[in-house]
Amino acid sequence: MMQGAPPAKVAASLRRIFGPGADASVLTVAADTVLRVARGDSLLGFAAVGNVIGKDQPITFLVAIDPADRLRDVDVLVYREPYGGEVAYDAWRRQFRGKSAADSLRVGREIRAISGATISVHAVTLGVKRVLADLTRWHQTGAIR
Amino acid sequence: MLRAVQCLTLAGVVLATARPVVAQEATKESTTIGGYGEIHYTNPRGRNTPAEVNLRRFVVYLAHSFNDRIAFRSELEVEDAKVEGGSSGGEVALEQAFLDYRVSDALTVRTGLVLPPVGIINETHEPPSFNGVDRPAFDHDVIPTTWREIGVGVVGRLPVADGWNYRLYLVNGLKANGFTDAEGIRGGRQEGREASFANPSLTGRIEWVRPAGGLRVGGSFWYGGTTGGDTLLGRGTFDAPIAVLSADARYQRGPLALRAVVATVSVSDANTINSLYGSAVGSRIAGGYLEGAYDVVSHLSAFVRHERYDTQADVPAGTTRDRGFARRVTTLGLTFKPTWNTAFKGDYTLLRTAAGTGEGEILRLGVGYQF
Repeated sequence: MMQGAPPAKVAASLRRIFGPGADASVLTVAADTVLRVARGDSLLGFAAVGNVIGKDQPITFLVAIDPADRLRDVDVLVYREPYGGEVAYDAWRRQFRGKSAADSLRVGREIRAISGATISVHAVTLGVKRVLADLTRWHQTGAIR
Repeated sequence: MLRAVQCLTLAGVVLATARPVVAQEATKESTTIGGYGEIHYTNPRGRNTPAEVNLRRFVVYLAHSFNDRIAFRSELEVEDAKVEGGSSGGEVALEQAFLDYRVSDALTVRTGLVLPPVGIINETHEPPSFNGVDRPAFDHDVIPTTWREIGVGVVGRLPVADGWNYRLYLVNGLKANGFTDAEGIRGGRQEGREASFANPSLTGRIEWVRPAGGLRVGGSFWYGGTTGGDTLLGRGTFDAPIAVLSADARYQRGPLALRAVVATVSVSDANTINSLYGSAVGSRIAGGYLEGAYDVVSHLSAFVRHERYDTQADVPAGTTRDRGFARRVTTLGLTFKPTWNTAFKGDYTLLRTAAGTGEGEILRLGVGYQF
């Protein structure tokens, strides 16, 4: 089911990830919202917004995949706590790129730890893993196309 | 505090990202409960020194967000399981309790009982976050953790480049009448209890985090008077000043983790303090430690820490230096963390002093958690 355009901040994030001219439309899968990104007739990928709790505040992030279900990029849309905001840095987020739902994403192994931001690092890593798994499952079962 | 991730509905996306601030503020009130704790088994070597088990800390973390900008955060601690009239040990205390007003990423105004941002352990003291059953001895005798005082300050990211953070607080001062030869400035903390504000003091920190992760380095200071209103020691705000300078680093790469902290505390009027209160406080308290840990197998790491510090690194004229306060503490141990926020620990500590007095060996076992 398609309905309207995504909010401005999400649209800006998708343009950053997929490049200018990428158009997003909003799909719903049961109670969840997925963004389908295309340029003209060609599908660029899908994205979804997730929330995890850091120490006491939600961290709002976006996960985008390409049509082959590989993670295109992660964006931290809103970070609300005074500490741990390093998870928003591109240099840290970029290690998720190219990962698929079958890949292992463990802090301290595939994903670098950030001393003093342990809670945020674990929360975002777990969140990305779950959204990546959801998007992949929905795409592979045809719930989104 | 780690909860299930959920994909937001479209309404949720709008709420979190695009609605005007006023509408957001009306809908965001929420309360978070967390906690941490640690239980220790301590067995000093030798006859007539039986082992002891202790519920060292039980801490409840309670936070409340009034809206996207204003949050209250607190830690209520029970030390040593219970407090009973007339018996020593045991403490119920607030470790932190402050109101944060977040203006932007670069600026949060913080007011209340705060942690001076000195060293590593004072601000980050959840048991799974450090190796060893007990905190480093240095973080007891040189940096007096858990150090908390009442004041107002600002924290945030420095907008110069990625990775720079700062905190700066104006808080109540320390009181020199609590300073000691063995534990330095520790007894001078006021900890938010009817604290004298005769000596407003400044404390702060600048730190740099490598944006890709793996390295955090910081520099911290504390400066302020210590009269506590005792006019015999001085009448000025900055009379009998102490200055603390500290630097620290944390490095992680794959299975390897290193940390290092150094600090020096200058007590410029130690001579007056000692004659007034009959103490033997050093005019300089200094030291540091180095720690290396390696993940030998999944979730299990072995570590070694070497601390060297002296609470009488210098003494004022008229005070006899006791080399028994020049300590070398070596700790070897294992930390098993089945999850990132639970830890089973065991270690062996060797304490040596320059005088050869007060030496000993201690075996410790413990568990710690945070959530």
